[in-house]
Amino acid sequence: MEPHPITGMYNGKFGIWLFLASEVMLFGALFSTYILLRVGAPEGTWPQHGADILNVPLAAFNTVVLIGSSVTMVMAWAYLKMKRIGMGQLFLAATFLLAGTFLVVKYFEYTEKFHHYAVFLNARMAVEGYEGQVTTISGHLAADSPALTRASNTGAYQAPEFVILEPDPPKGGGDHPPVVRIDGAQIKRLSDFGPRHSTFLATYFTMTGLHGLHIVGGMIVIGYFLATGSRFASHNLDKYANRIECTGLYWHFVDLVWIFLFPVLYLL
Amino acid sequence: MPPDLHYGRWSPPDFSLHGHNIDQLIDVVHVFMLALFIPWGLFFLYCLLKYRQKPGQSAQYNPVKAKISKYAEIGVAVVEVFLLVGLSMPVWAQYKNDPPAEDERYTVRVIAQQFQWNAHYAGADGVFGKTDASLITELNPIGLMEEQDPHAADDIVTINDIHLPVGRPIYMRLTSLDVIHSFFIPTMRVKQDVIPGMEVPIWFEIDAWALSDDIRGNMTAATPIEKASWYKLRHHIFAEDVVTGDGEVMAAAGDHLGESYKAGTERIAELREAGVKELVMQPRHPLQVVCAQLCGNSHFKMAAQLITHDEAGFAAWQAAQKQAVEFEDF
Amino acid sequence: MSDHAHSHGDHDLPFWKKYVFSVDHKVIGVQYALTALVFLFFGFSLMMIMRWQLAYPGRPIPLIGAMLSGTLAADGVLVGDGYNILGAMHGTIMVFLGIVPLAVGGFGNFVLPLQIGAPDMAFPRLNMASYWVFFVGGVIMIGSMFTKTSGAGSGWTMYPPLAVTAAYGETIWLVGMVFLITSSLLGSVNFIVTTIQLRARGLSFFRLPFFVWAQLVTAFLLLLAFPPLEAAAALQLMDRVVGTSFFMPEGLVLSTVHLSHLSGGGNPVLWQHLFWFLAHPEVYVLILPGMGIIAEVIANNTRKPLWGYKSLVYSVIFLGFMSFIVWAHHMFMTGMGTTLSTFFQATTMIISVPSVIILTCLIISLYGAAIRFTVPMLFALAFLPMFAIGGLTGLPLGLTASDIQLHDTYYVIGHFHYVVAPGTIFAMFAGIYYWFPKATGRKMSDWLGKLHFWPSFIFINAVFMPMFFQGMAGVLRRQYDQTEQLAGAASHGLTLMSSWGAWLLALAQIPFIVNFFWSIWKGQRVSDNPWHATTLEWAAPSPPPHGNFPAVPVVYSGPYEYSVPGVSEDFCPQNVALEA
Repeated sequence: MEPHPITGMYNGKFGIWLFLASEVMLFGALFSTYILLRVGAPEGTWPQHGADILNVPLAAFNTVVLIGSSVTMVMAWAYLKMKRIGMGQLFLAATFLLAGTFLVVKYFEYTEKFHHYAVFLNARMAVEGYEGQVTTISGHLAADSPALTRASNTGAYQAPEFVILEPDPPKGGGDHPPVVRIDGAQIKRLSDFGPRHSTFLATYFTMTGLHGLHIVGGMIVIGYFLATGSRFASHNLDKYANRIECTGLYWHFVDLVWIFLFPVLYLL
Repeated sequence: MPPDLHYGRWSPPDFSLHGHNIDQLIDVVHVFMLALFIPWGLFFLYCLLKYRQKPGQSAQYNPVKAKISKYAEIGVAVVEVFLLVGLSMPVWAQYKNDPPAEDERYTVRVIAQQFQWNAHYAGADGVFGKTDASLITELNPIGLMEEQDPHAADDIVTINDIHLPVGRPIYMRLTSLDVIHSFFIPTMRVKQDVIPGMEVPIWFEIDAWALSDDIRGNMTAATPIEKASWYKLRHHIFAEDVVTGDGEVMAAAGDHLGESYKAGTERIAELREAGVKELVMQPRHPLQVVCAQLCGNSHFKMAAQLITHDEAGFAAWQAAQKQAVEFEDF
Repeated sequence: MSDHAHSHGDHDLPFWKKYVFSVDHKVIGVQYALTALVFLFFGFSLMMIMRWQLAYPGRPIPLIGAMLSGTLAADGVLVGDGYNILGAMHGTIMVFLGIVPLAVGGFGNFVLPLQIGAPDMAFPRLNMASYWVFFVGGVIMIGSMFTKTSGAGSGWTMYPPLAVTAAYGETIWLVGMVFLITSSLLGSVNFIVTTIQLRARGLSFFRLPFFVWAQLVTAFLLLLAFPPLEAAAALQLMDRVVGTSFFMPEGLVLSTVHLSHLSGGGNPVLWQHLFWFLAHPEVYVLILPGMGIIAEVIANNTRKPLWGYKSLVYSVIFLGFMSFIVWAHHMFMTGMGTTLSTFFQATTMIISVPSVIILTCLIISLYGAAIRFTVPMLFALAFLPMFAIGGLTGLPLGLTASDIQLHDTYYVIGHFHYVVAPGTIFAMFAGIYYWFPKATGRKMSDWLGKLHFWPSFIFINAVFMPMFFQGMAGVLRRQYDQTEQLAGAASHGLTLMSSWGAWLLALAQIPFIVNFFWSIWKGQRVSDNPWHATTLEWAAPSPPPHGNFPAVPVVYSGPYEYSVPGVSEDFCPQNVALEA
């Protein structure tokens, strides 16, 4: 695979760059969606900071993990270019493991959200442990709270007879307020902290979910090269190294998207 | 009042103050389009006829060096700039940027839903009563807080029945309850997408002489019975009694042909057999508000009648409304 | 250059690898073309059913009325939801399953590598994958119409909240779109890399046939414009399936039921921005390959170079760039202010300039020509005034003030159909008649071709010309029964004309279908270059073998060296050195 005189790239590399251009448009559309929805959000529906709702330490750890995986990816390619197949495959495996770690952490992040609930009240209510009156109480369900069912047509939680909630600490910090019982009649809407909760969380899950799918895709390709790479490399090392280079370009892009996602979703 | 008003031939009649600007732009643009198309077309046909392949004669490798096409292209661009800056932008700016002064205008709210146009009038106190989505029922389509808000007591809510005063700026606040609709009055050159979650104001003024009763009269037309089709006349009523040669009254003024294709076609046949030569009819509701954005399976039926009054007539109409919702069958 | 080792003979391959899961661009091109033609026919049939309801509202459809299912019709009479479903599917199928796969997947795949002297595409296996992903997407889309929820019924534009709350096939539509978009993206990468990296020696950019330039710009449009729609489709799927509120504002009340289970906070106009960001470049995707085909056919049948080749190339590049910044002219009525609308009006006016230049260059190319009225040329010539009408009628729509009256009326339907129907589809026919001999080694029958052309030309105008008048009169689009509206009732005669025109237009396609299939086996055998054309595809055998050219071609001249002074033959193929 000779580089072309005009572009200076061999076909596969040019192809991957073009594909990445389209991916920029894809994630760009989602970032634009985030901006439009945030700017137009009705008062109080969008959190002041992502950190109010999201787990920043876990995500910061994940950022380090992903950047690390980009480093190991480059190392893998470099070793292959230096004709050291064994080391190349080793660093490819390290990339795969780091990517897997990212996904596992994400799994914990997501499930944490699905066990966290928000009760939207019909009218402002005074709740012990919170300043003034509130329209929403979030927290975890107590063990003796009735099981929740979903409406068959919408899939949303139906308001149960009553809910016993262990409320979250108030915004400024402090202790957990005491357990509170909320009557079904006072509940306008009940939701977990999943995508249904608000447009912020809908955007969060969609963007990180799509990003996660891209990680899975990358892992499938890397996994394929881990499995077949030694044989391919011994047959045509140059071509194999180029394939890894292209995969690396994709991987760096996936990492770059996260480097934008993390501050935008978690810190702003 | 222009005589002889018709639908279905080029632009519909225009009863608004700003409408002629839009019509003028449409006309000028079409003249420009023809000014491009006709020379192109003539040149095209000329080439087809003159440059057919003939034996012994070959094509010219490089026949045209003229700069005329460059100048023509620049000319096209100049005309387009004029259309944009000279004709379209000022009209659009006035349509969008210059609302009428608050003390001069009459404000009405229109709330669209699948598949009706609800109109909300502030009533004598000039203040709109508050609304609450949880109070919405079929009889209270906008959720007017009749019990809770004293200002709501004199409000009027109509369904598919919009009454407006002529000769005064109208300020209309548009919103939707469910999906995107589009508020379109063809005879007022007014169109605005109605989007849930947004309230968009539009403004226009109706010509002082454009009273819907008079317009109805001026739209009276005679259709020869052989050309009569129920599809074309389904919205029309007889302008006068239909009397045959023998003095038999076949139909009274104000009657219509029938509610279905079958009934209407049979009626027409009946009249033809009785010797009636032509049908003199006028539209029952000459001014229509229609929905211009696909909104579901009855999108095509989502229409309201628009009734225009002079000041006195409008005041009388308001006084005659009861507080409860008026349901007018369109 | 290509990864693909073409030294093995393809006669060794089993049938399913040679004709079904083939990596040869010509086989893939034919697969795309045939599949697209079937989908086009199906999409056209949907409209013919709708035209009965338009012409004779409320009356049972003859012959097939009884066969329509419960969602679509009752007692043989189309119902409101059924009309909307057929309408939305008609638009979707024609645009995404018909024209683009035929123009880009079919003609692009078959002709482009040949015209640049390449043995195949840069990524043959990716090419095969593109076709099959398209096929699956197409099956999903069309298959949706045969499920319990039937097809989507909210317009091909799928505006929320209607599309989110609708009980029909909108979800399957969105899933199908993801497949179709993926197929397009893979294909566009292939086209760009192939065109830039695989050109034969001597084939510089300004020696490329205009068809190649058109396909190259089209590929960039597909690459960069589709992803926002893919994002939007994902978001709307979330709204429909998961219950998010990307496009659902607070306080929605559907038939007196308050949708309080939704979080609200979404924006329906956001969908419109994301959708039209693709869909405007998409309409240029619909027309550009057609313009490319017309340019080739005109150059060949005027026996002289195209006039203004450089202008054509610069115009098409500029057009491609501009197409990304006009999208909101579809949204003038959403309540946008004067600043935003002024920007989009201005860019819309500017984008008409390269279109005018391209059309003018093609018309001036007829001057001083020696015109051969072959069947492809008939379609190519008809394209010119038809595209002119389509393009010109875009002007009153692109100016906001006139758009107030014309938006969402039949004027719009007339405008875009003139560009795609007697515009692009005629270009497709021209391309089929023109390149049929290259693909099969046989010519299609001339007299059947003329029998196809003349009635089609007449009836297609009968269908669409009345629509401008109806639009001016205020007749709205997407109306199950136009006569409910005063303007629609008054202009019912024009509706009848359009409907009868459509049914007669359908009959006029029979000579084409007969001609196409009959000629594959019984058509007159012709040489490798029956049209005496100059571009590289005609230097390959008909049909070209796997690998295309027996010897790698070298290019010595521009693409349209016809009637060169001092040369006895009236054409000089690109791969033949000119004497002296």
